[in-house]
Amino acid sequence: MAFVNLQNVTYQYPLTKTPALQNVNLQVNEGEFVAIVGPNGAGKSTLCYTLAGFAPHFFKGEMSGTVEVAGKESSKSTLDEWVLNVGLAFQNPFNQISGAKYTVFEEIAFGLENIGVPREEMKSRVEDAMALTGIRDLAERSPYSLSGGQQQRVALTSILVMRPKLLVLDEPTSQMDPIGTREVFGTIRKMAEEGMTVVLVEHKVEWIAEFADRVIALKDGSVLLEGKPNEVLTSELLAEHGFGLSRYTSTAREAKKRGIWKKKICL
Amino acid sequence: MKIEIQDLRFIYPTGLEALKGISLTIEAGEQVAIVGQNGAGKTTLVRHFNGLLQPASGSVLIGDWDVKKYSVAKLASRVGYVFQNPDEQLFSRDVLTEVTFGPKNLKYAKEKIDELVKRALSLTELTDKTETNPYDLSPTWRKMVALASIIAMDTPIVIFDEPTTGQDAVNVARIANVIAELRKEGKTVITITHDIDFCAENFERVIALSKGQVLLDGPAREILGQEEILAQTYVDPPQLTRLGKRLGLKETVRNQEEFLNSL
Amino acid sequence: MHERLSFHIKRDSVIHKLNPLTKLTLILALILISFTSPWYWTPHVVLLLAVIPLSGLGRVFPEFFKAATRLILPAAGFLFLMQAFFQPIGEEVIFKFYFLDITQESLMFAFRNAMRVFVMISAFTLFLLTTHPSELMSDLTRRGLPGQFAYVIISTLQILPQMQAKAQTIIAAQRSRGLDTESTFLKRAGSVLPLVGPLVFGSLVEVEERAIAIEARGFTSKNSKTSLHEIPDPSFEKTIRWALLMLVILSIAANLWLS
Repeated sequence: MAFVNLQNVTYQYPLTKTPALQNVNLQVNEGEFVAIVGPNGAGKSTLCYTLAGFAPHFFKGEMSGTVEVAGKESSKSTLDEWVLNVGLAFQNPFNQISGAKYTVFEEIAFGLENIGVPREEMKSRVEDAMALTGIRDLAERSPYSLSGGQQQRVALTSILVMRPKLLVLDEPTSQMDPIGTREVFGTIRKMAEEGMTVVLVEHKVEWIAEFADRVIALKDGSVLLEGKPNEVLTSELLAEHGFGLSRYTSTAREAKKRGIWKKKICL
Repeated sequence: MKIEIQDLRFIYPTGLEALKGISLTIEAGEQVAIVGQNGAGKTTLVRHFNGLLQPASGSVLIGDWDVKKYSVAKLASRVGYVFQNPDEQLFSRDVLTEVTFGPKNLKYAKEKIDELVKRALSLTELTDKTETNPYDLSPTWRKMVALASIIAMDTPIVIFDEPTTGQDAVNVARIANVIAELRKEGKTVITITHDIDFCAENFERVIALSKGQVLLDGPAREILGQEEILAQTYVDPPQLTRLGKRLGLKETVRNQEEFLNSL
Repeated sequence: MHERLSFHIKRDSVIHKLNPLTKLTLILALILISFTSPWYWTPHVVLLLAVIPLSGLGRVFPEFFKAATRLILPAAGFLFLMQAFFQPIGEEVIFKFYFLDITQESLMFAFRNAMRVFVMISAFTLFLLTTHPSELMSDLTRRGLPGQFAYVIISTLQILPQMQAKAQTIIAAQRSRGLDTESTFLKRAGSVLPLVGPLVFGSLVEVEERAIAIEARGFTSKNSKTSLHEIPDPSFEKTIRWALLMLVILSIAANLWLS
């Protein structure tokens, strides 16, 4: 049995006319790093909210099909139980700051306080998580005084510290500089190798090519294609549907067209 | 319109010295990308161009105007500034009113306003959405409304702060197209970006900032190949530049065209 | 960019080390006694012999002094003048200013009330300077205050500087579009909409996303919460709190008995 298992999931937000997800089937194994790609409006964020339990528990709306993570079914669970297994970080880092804490260290500890982790364990877990994402030097700063990129690292750390079995990330590095992004992707990759299952939405395909095990291409709320990064990301189908390609892929394709390149297109 | 910056320094109230003596000249009609790590001072620098921040010392001239002597509202006739987050900018009931707001503030004649708004809407592919409330649009389209509302002001200088963040490939192409059109019209375009491939494909000149100082400044071709120096400010060279290096190409290539030509 | 969002100043002092509830009891007791004690000079004595020495003991006297002279003194002074001039008590006028006059009684009355207010604000200032808000909330939550309630209080404390920062960004964005916010009043009134719209919409999105973010971090978890900061509450502090409570009761009783 797959660790994450979505069967025929269709979901529609309240007060909308069309479903945001249509008949989605998706399996992810334990410790796998899966990337989701797709144009804006393809349903990527909705898929994240579904995996993290917020659709439908938080947003309400209509859901059919089954969502299973770690052998539990979303519809038979409550949100506060669900979040113990599934961690979610999303794009806008400012809105993820709890607003109840005055330093980054306290901010990261917030989730552990909520679920009742003993003090000494809490401190060492916060220290470890900050070391992992490279933000130890920010520990005593106010989360509000940080730049967007730094806040994104804090948001990610605040979720990592909870040690979820499934980590769901919706463009977690959009405001980071390139080398910062590389560092964070490296960290996420390491977490996956240590057994954490990762589902990540990302626009910049070159990172996916480098770090992810598998890619799922979403379009109009449905899965268009899935497979190994260099199969999916170089597929003609993706190019036809207006997905972003890496520069390597688009250049190789152009080269092939001009007859400079004869071999198979890769990443 | 020329921008001249002389030994510009800026210190935040917290005591952080964000700009430590920057001198630059940007000629009329140049396309400049500003790159650098988080906290390098990119946004702080461009906020001096329209008077949102005032220099602690040094000077900034926009054409013949010293920014210290003009209000932000006045400088808006010379410098358009697209903020990173469109939600901080949009407020009107429909797209048309939103885009008309800027040129109206600048008190252009009615015919001119109509013409400018029409052009801005067609450039950003919003012509069929003029009646829509900006908040009913997706974040991608709200970004385009924000772009249109600044372009319609017809300023000789346009600044974009991280225009491609969170945008998909289709919309990045749209934004690149807008920048290309502005270039044709002879406008100065200054863009802050982390997207180095976008930078390589759309800009002639690159300025790399690091810790409040200019680390590198020059033609994109020269700057983008300097892997070690760029790494100091947490920037990687573009994908094709790196590939070109690995394949042992003699010249630094920036984009698909150059790459294929040098193969 | 606000580095500090609370009045709290981190220092190592006897007052800082007190349990937040003890501190809260202490300042509430000082205020209640100042307001209820029948002896005329009580608030004056409380200020001179309790609040000011405590600020020294808490090693925040310079900050306390600054707040007292800049904020509390003008407020208490204003109250003093209003009451001295407008309180229609007493016969013997000792000072006249056009149609306003001051009697000995109104002067004394105003002096005491101004002093009470002075004690109240200065005691709270002292409390805020020496108490970390999240420590207070953790302690109160541990004593049974609902977590949601504590969160609302503490995030409200932070929201004002945040809203202010946000409003500044929005103003900057609109000024960049040629909106003149610096000239006449009429123009400024007309420029309110472009500023309020994004602020309200932004806040709605923010509230929803923040709710998701804290929920994702177990905010509504049914587990009993723990606290990062250890907040000691030695038994002698309990004694102090009971003693303070007794003093307040005595003061109220004396007031009732004499009236």
